[in-house]
Amino acid sequence: MRLAPNLRSLLLAPSSIIFVVLFLLPVGYFFVLSFWRVRAYQLRPDLTFDQYITVVTDYAQSIAYTFGIAFAIAVVTTTIAFAYAYFCRFKAGRFGLVFLFVAIVTLFGGYLTKIYMWKTILGSGGILNSAFMILELIDTPITAFLFSPIAVIITLTHYTLPLAVLPIYGSLRGITDTPLQAARDLGASQTRVFFNIVLPQTRIGLITSFSLTFLFAAGDYVTPLLVGGPHTSMIGLFIQSQFGHRLNVPLGSAMSFSVVVCCLLVITVVALLINRVTRPR
Amino acid sequence: MTSNLNRAAWYAFASLAVAFMLSPLVILVLFCFSESALLSFPITGLTFYWFETLFARAQFWGALENSLIVTGTVGIVSTVVGTMAAMGLARMRLRVSSLVMAVLTVPIMVPPLMLGIVFLSYFATWWEIRLGLHSVILAHLVFTQPFVILIVNARMAGFDFAALDSAQDLGASKLHAFFTITLPIIRPSILGAALIAMALSLDDFLVTFFTIGGGNTLPIFMWGMLRKGVDPSINIVAVTLMVLSVGVSLIGLRVTRYRG
Repeated sequence: MRLAPNLRSLLLAPSSIIFVVLFLLPVGYFFVLSFWRVRAYQLRPDLTFDQYITVVTDYAQSIAYTFGIAFAIAVVTTTIAFAYAYFCRFKAGRFGLVFLFVAIVTLFGGYLTKIYMWKTILGSGGILNSAFMILELIDTPITAFLFSPIAVIITLTHYTLPLAVLPIYGSLRGITDTPLQAARDLGASQTRVFFNIVLPQTRIGLITSFSLTFLFAAGDYVTPLLVGGPHTSMIGLFIQSQFGHRLNVPLGSAMSFSVVVCCLLVITVVALLINRVTRPR
Repeated sequence: MTSNLNRAAWYAFASLAVAFMLSPLVILVLFCFSESALLSFPITGLTFYWFETLFARAQFWGALENSLIVTGTVGIVSTVVGTMAAMGLARMRLRVSSLVMAVLTVPIMVPPLMLGIVFLSYFATWWEIRLGLHSVILAHLVFTQPFVILIVNARMAGFDFAALDSAQDLGASKLHAFFTITLPIIRPSILGAALIAMALSLDDFLVTFFTIGGGNTLPIFMWGMLRKGVDPSINIVAVTLMVLSVGVSLIGLRVTRYRG
């Protein structure tokens, strides 16, 4: 059935208005702000690239550091997520959906809640240390757990894992048993079936999971703030502070856009890499 | 033999992964009842004391009320708006509708911190409107609406338009046909989409943090407690949030019969 074009646009109007007025315009305005400057605590319209120069000179290191951590998180998370989704689809039999269900439940466990829990679990007087002490595995609390990049990696891996499982499971579910059995019947080894049939079809899922995880990790600031300690200077902390006590909106904007552009570059490169690796050989 | 070993290894891995995903949440619930103010083992005694102290605070109830207002409004508006969009998209050529979908779902990919500061600048600097629950609601619409569109649109992909056509051939108005045919068929998806949108809105901290100005929602209230230091009632706030968002999303997934 075809609707008259005007009814179609009427149906799409409210969400388009939300998209344009509450997303496109704000992002556009925010981008324009990155070329302004702050004088005497006031925003002044301008067309300067000073903010971007500051990003390159003062924050390039922090961005690189953040990307290192985010990359580690994305690789670890995507790998575990792939293995888990693979297990749910091919190895767990009728329990597959039960295991998938666990991932879905933890997807909505609460963002702050999870960070807070890892803070209490990893702390020196915390749950992990006290449990280890009871079990007499250690004598003195291990302080290195909390306030370190490792704590950030553990916390964000925990947060993004269920998010990464779903897209990969989605693409694994699309693989029907027929080609797998046909390949086996024709004498292909298990390894060959995996690399020639399974892996190529999870390409989209892998890229989606990696991108979601990487973007989230690179843009987060609450996790490094609460569990990262003073030396885990991720870029989100600096961006946030431009809207807090430093109050330099143009610089914050320039930092945000620089990070997003760099993220897109990393994701593009990784997507190309995944394409290569998952190509049937 | 090898296959048994193989199987055992897979189950061992999966159990570890499940333990990793679930244990923090289980531990959290456990510590709500712990007597000690310190969060460490062994748990010396059980108590409801922390519930009493929390429930005695007016701030907690205020935050809960605000959360419910925001979540409820966002749930209703984004569902209506998102469903309308999905209906419009369902009647477009596939190539056009995929393009429109790709554009409308961009906000999902933007890190929440960036969304938050974008809205802060837009509301406070451009429009100079006072921040409050209304700005939070507007901001939440942006990242919840794409999920509604995605879920309802997925349902419309296999929709049989023939019944709708015959109803209209027999003289039903478009609106009448929608309410008597389309809506009953896709109701589970719409309800599920609404609940997913609500779960996302309820749990959001970063966007709310920048758009609320002074007030509290549950995550903001929890943030305040986190910054102030040790107060075990925070466990209960966290569990309240967790139970609400997990509960809402589980019902949502159940009614949409989500299977991956």
